[in-house]
Amino acid sequence: MSDFTISRRTMLAGSAMLLASTAMPGIGWAQTPRRGGRLVVAADSEPRNLNPAIVASNGVFFISSKIVETLAEASFDGKDGLAPRLALSWEGTADGLSATFKLREGVKWHDGKPFTSADVAFSALQIWKPLQNLGRTVFKDLDAVETPDDLTAVFKFAKPTPFQLIRNALPALSSVVPKHIYETGKIEDNPANNAPVGTGPFKFGEYKAGQYYRLQKNTDYWGKDEPYLDEIIYQVLPDRTSAASALEAEEIHLAAFSAVPLADLDRISKVPGLKVITKGYEGLTYQLVVEINHRRKELADLKVRQAIAHAIDKDFVVKTIFLGYAATATGPVPKNDPQFYTADVPTYAFDVAKANALLDEAGYIRGDDGKRFSLKLLPAPYFNETRQFGDYLRQALAAIGIDAELVNNDSPAHIKAVYTDHAFDLAVGPPVFRGDPAISTTILVQSGIPDGVPFSNQGGYKNADLDALIARASETLDTSARTELYKEFQKQVAADLPLINVAEWSFISVARETVENIANNPRWAVSNWADTYLAN
Amino acid sequence: MSPLRRFLRMPEALAGTAILAVLFAMALAAPLIFPGDPQAIAGPALLPPFQDWSLPLGTDRLGRDVLAELFHGARTSLAVGLAAAAAALAVGAIVGTLAGFAGGLVDDVLMRITDAFQTVPSFLLALAFVSAVGPSLGVVVVAIALGAWTGPARVARAEVLSIRERDFVAGARVIGMHPLEIAFREILPNALPPVLALSSVIVAAAILTEAALSFLGLGDPNRVTWGGMIAEGRAVLRTAPFLSIIPGVALVLTVLGVYLAGEGVIETTAVRRSLS
Repeated sequence: MSDFTISRRTMLAGSAMLLASTAMPGIGWAQTPRRGGRLVVAADSEPRNLNPAIVASNGVFFISSKIVETLAEASFDGKDGLAPRLALSWEGTADGLSATFKLREGVKWHDGKPFTSADVAFSALQIWKPLQNLGRTVFKDLDAVETPDDLTAVFKFAKPTPFQLIRNALPALSSVVPKHIYETGKIEDNPANNAPVGTGPFKFGEYKAGQYYRLQKNTDYWGKDEPYLDEIIYQVLPDRTSAASALEAEEIHLAAFSAVPLADLDRISKVPGLKVITKGYEGLTYQLVVEINHRRKELADLKVRQAIAHAIDKDFVVKTIFLGYAATATGPVPKNDPQFYTADVPTYAFDVAKANALLDEAGYIRGDDGKRFSLKLLPAPYFNETRQFGDYLRQALAAIGIDAELVNNDSPAHIKAVYTDHAFDLAVGPPVFRGDPAISTTILVQSGIPDGVPFSNQGGYKNADLDALIARASETLDTSARTELYKEFQKQVAADLPLINVAEWSFISVARETVENIANNPRWAVSNWADTYLAN
Repeated sequence: MSPLRRFLRMPEALAGTAILAVLFAMALAAPLIFPGDPQAIAGPALLPPFQDWSLPLGTDRLGRDVLAELFHGARTSLAVGLAAAAAALAVGAIVGTLAGFAGGLVDDVLMRITDAFQTVPSFLLALAFVSAVGPSLGVVVVAIALGAWTGPARVARAEVLSIRERDFVAGARVIGMHPLEIAFREILPNALPPVLALSSVIVAAAILTEAALSFLGLGDPNRVTWGGMIAEGRAVLRTAPFLSIIPGVALVLTVLGVYLAGEGVIETTAVRRSLS
């Protein structure tokens, strides 16, 4: 089945829905989820590898989190911000050397084989630890996974590993894939990477390059009555302006990850039948960061870095570039993080005069042309907003006598230039905060990272005190002591400015009003959508 | 009737010239009327045109003055268009003259190279070149010239083939002039008019190619370009269409102006040649 067929029944159902919606406007519905229906979603990228256990990134999760499940998912009201998925409970020992997971009973893989603790052990040891982009750091000391019975997995660590970190890593890093499919042959080349097999509410249907991905209902799903939807279609719409018109033309139900440009939201929120949703991304905070190459002698001077921080009008960035859909940043942990954030850090108010004074003090006097020195500025190409911030930063630097030359690259060239060749002075990057500073944040400032690791400290910054603090925090088992250390970490980063945090933002979804149960967890766009349904 | 008066009698040629004159005036006056960086933030973001007379055409998403960007963009468009066309014409004329005058193996080799360049769509060639070398004004000029020199080369060769059989060339040979001197001092100047007739088309195409490259994000990001303005405006096409329309109209007028003026020149010179 390569094309979508419209049967008489779906036509009837569709027209009945239309009738109902016109006959009874504004009547609140008793929330009994309606079964069936096809949800059509805009997709702006087409990941080749759909295995979330190997590539833990939002682009992959967006599609495969519906197929392959994790041990636990983020939750607004669950204990420690988690809700059970494949694991029902989890517990760490006081010495930090072991963590026990009790698994859900009666779960089946999409091919009918039973899900057991052997699958968890295999995924953890063979994939998360050696192959996964994020698991490599979090699970680096994982030694063995014991499986005393089919429903218990005991993680054994060689060195004490804080259970808080493991817990915070569960939603993004713990995708479980079937051992019986991956145990033969090379894991990276397994065909299931392109047509994943999991335990999730939806099975992989088909993929037509440049057109769509189709997921279909898993009738054997463990969740009672779930999933409600029959199908999810990811319609590939690479052009950002087309998602808004596709929503208006009722071709799609949902555009997530800000597929509708921010500037269009005001207009589209007034279109009848559409709703703009800012919730559901709390666990996916992106940070707008100025990465600094400390090999440049001017930038190695703290005063110059402070001057740059003072030259950036963060309120302007939030108001004009993000149109208010963002928050100003104070340090390397975003304000919306419930566990680690502290506001008690040195801050840099927007003050051009002070910035100029700092640069004069540092000995970089303006030349006859009003310029102090020149820099190369590389804005990351991933988002409109990172590019626009690059344009803004060039102007902000001009105001303090620093002449920045913009260099635009495509994604592979940008990653190579910044993280491998170090051919930059300043770069604009959008790192992601993943619920715990040890997952993807400390790596941005810690020294000793080999060349070529993307989204890590490739600016040559080296601070022995900060490195020691990061090392101590990574071994501290007590949750509150560990949290305190990360608060100290934020202070030191904000004081020494290995990079400059400017703003934090999440995404916006636009959906038809008939789509229900959306944005009901902090990682909704990349969660399993088992309870999502299309109302009448 | 003098060629000038004949030119002035053609309304489309006059219109083209007028547009070009305005354009050149804009490009030359840009640093005087809008001194300082045209990309500087001048006011509130997304101000519509004709609201605030200090910013008559409004502002873009960062609050930059659209009119200042338009004026400075004219400089980039014209500079790239003229430089690329000049480079293409120069290379084309030299290659064509050499091929036509030398004949034999040299002719074969040069013409096969020309064929090779002609088989690749010139825009793809420019795209590939810029993305490999990295965007800057000079690179963009070279990239456009790379795809545009083959036309002039073929025309020049055809002209040279007929001219080299003329008596004055034989005369030059007899008095012992160096072959290269004959080629470039005697033949090339006579072969040039039809080659130059191509220039308006090449300039127009070069301006469009530059705009297309900037639109795709392969222009020089440190300069204002009309293509870049259209690309930036595209993200807010539904809420602030003027950001794409204004530079788009400027681009259309420029290309039209270059083309009409060029046509006018060709018409007048063609009539003169046929009369003589």
